[in-house]
Amino acid sequence: MAILKPFEENEEEPCLVAQDLKKRYPAAEKPAIDDLSLSVHAGEIFGLLGPNGAGKTTAISVMTGLLRPDAGAVHICGIDLFKRSKAARKFFGLVPQEIALYPNLTARENLRYFGRLYGLKGKQLKERVAESLSIVGLSDRAHQRIRTFSGGMKRRANLSAGLLHSPRLLFLDEPTVGIDAQSRNMILERLLEMREKGVAMIYTTHYMEEAQTLCSRIAVMDEGRIVAHGSPADLLRGYPECRDLGALFLHLTGKRLRD
Amino acid sequence: MMKLFSTVYKELLLLFRDRAGLLVLFLMPAALVIIVSLVQENVLKTTGEIDVQVVLADRDRGAVGDAIRKGLAEAGAMEIVEAGRGFDGGPGRELNRDGKADDAAVENAVAHGDAQVGIIIPAGLTRNMQARIDAQIEAAFAGKPASEAENVSLPELRLYFDPLAQGSFRSAIVNAIHRIILMMEMEMKAGAFTGAVRSFVPEMSDDWGSGRLLDLRVERTGRGGVEKLPTSVQQNVPAWALFGMFFIVVPLSGALIREREDGTQTRLLTLPVSYGILLMGKVIAYVFICIVQFGIILLIGIYVLPLMGTPVLEIGSSPEAVAVIVLSAALAASGYGIAIGVFSGTYEQASMFGPVSIVIAAALGGIMVPVYVMPETMREISRFSPLAWGLNGLTELFVREGDMISVLPEIAYLLLFAAGMLGAAWIGFSRRRRF
Repeated sequence: MAILKPFEENEEEPCLVAQDLKKRYPAAEKPAIDDLSLSVHAGEIFGLLGPNGAGKTTAISVMTGLLRPDAGAVHICGIDLFKRSKAARKFFGLVPQEIALYPNLTARENLRYFGRLYGLKGKQLKERVAESLSIVGLSDRAHQRIRTFSGGMKRRANLSAGLLHSPRLLFLDEPTVGIDAQSRNMILERLLEMREKGVAMIYTTHYMEEAQTLCSRIAVMDEGRIVAHGSPADLLRGYPECRDLGALFLHLTGKRLRD
Repeated sequence: MMKLFSTVYKELLLLFRDRAGLLVLFLMPAALVIIVSLVQENVLKTTGEIDVQVVLADRDRGAVGDAIRKGLAEAGAMEIVEAGRGFDGGPGRELNRDGKADDAAVENAVAHGDAQVGIIIPAGLTRNMQARIDAQIEAAFAGKPASEAENVSLPELRLYFDPLAQGSFRSAIVNAIHRIILMMEMEMKAGAFTGAVRSFVPEMSDDWGSGRLLDLRVERTGRGGVEKLPTSVQQNVPAWALFGMFFIVVPLSGALIREREDGTQTRLLTLPVSYGILLMGKVIAYVFICIVQFGIILLIGIYVLPLMGTPVLEIGSSPEAVAVIVLSAALAASGYGIAIGVFSGTYEQASMFGPVSIVIAAALGGIMVPVYVMPETMREISRFSPLAWGLNGLTELFVREGDMISVLPEIAYLLLFAAGMLGAAWIGFSRRRRF
């Protein structure tokens, strides 16, 4: 079995379509996301950038069905996320910002549990767990409990749990935050390999050089809205005064601190 | 189904790896059952609820000693030990040369709680009583006032009580001795009177003074004519087992909050599985733990506590009803744990509120202090404690020989409580997700 399924049918259809998403939290003055629309195709890494509080995590929460939007629709591989959520969830994986694993279970036990919840069983489950651990270089640490892992190992284990069921779409919420250069490099290499295999990704990060290297397209968000959108090269061409993505980001979102 | 079983297995695995959680779940209730049962066994002795030791120093060796021995034996629930016969008054309270404990030894033995009651019958007491009666009869026939008979000294019986003995128990013993002496007095007076008038009525019988005029029958209520009071073990084993079961709110709510805080819940909510299945998996795992916990405490009541001198735990004649009550209580405890996990903002909140609320519910529910000694208002409030429902049901089965039908209300209350808690938790959880 291939590590990740190639995108087989109807490659023209976007893996993710989000239309006119609005979400306002109770008692909040402004909406957390406002008229957010985007689409991501197979083999594309879509970078979602923005300062703290820009609405990136809310956007991911709505697009993964964790939160219901006040308005708008989300389709995952053509399936309406809010009407057929169970069917839609089979097609995407989430790598949350937190290490969303049980610290007192081993890496293998964690993956076996989540794998079973994805409906994997028997030989297929065993193979998928082994392959997911192998992708992130944790095969020889599979028997260790997560709480004994270093920060980088935890991040890699967190990523492997999102790959278990060979998703067509992967949401990555700051997957490389707070880890060493080696682990970060490994994660980025694996993500590029997955992109080559046709996996679509939504990627949030505060590291601009990561976004510039990795992402096919980027959307810069501020105050719940997309303020700029395009490939890194196109965006930089549109703002010649900005020498790199970091300068462009500050130009678009300002230097005011966001707490 | 596989998703459900996987969740149950994962929960059990996490629990077995949480040593602090295991201590709370298994060691704490086991220790509580043993300690409180042993303590209450001693309390019951001082209140006379179970067999008490009476040390009797009979210097008289006459009719009074025999009557007291017989009277106390008939009263039941007392073990009479003769001073100097297998009872030496304890360390430092040596016997006299004739092998009898002296008065001080009896007094000390009672003061130190080795016996709950001490009775000293001084030498010549029967002879003195008879002499006073003869003098009284003689004075009466001579037409002299009763005070004429006062030249014979008034015999004195001495009683000692364990300092911890409660007032009602003391009164009961004093009244019993009074009754025995009064009967003796009547018989002796009747005998003396008969002796005095026999010269006029030779055929007069001398046992008319012992004939009884009224019989008093005391009966205890109980199904099928069974007369039983809860022993310390029958009270404490179900009480503290239930207390321990409800303490699963700590690890259960903690597990839910940790999942929420460390992001695992976020991952779970994006998987193609209903969160209801995941919650059900948790409930099944913790209900299983509760049942194992109850089983262990039951075995302690049957096999371990008797080795320490308590009565053996008797579980009545309806084990299937016991199983249903335990299952219902386990569901109620799990439902409560899930609700606390959903509604608590932080682990600290849950780990404070959970145990404190259980202790309050236990106090209200008669786990620590029996409900019948509570004031009326508190008794009314206690009817709303799930621990009271569980304890009432188990007491009904263990002590009053109840069956499934007689504990149906308690089962219904516990199941309704479980359903209410799970329903509230589900609504709270859904509301949180919507926002």
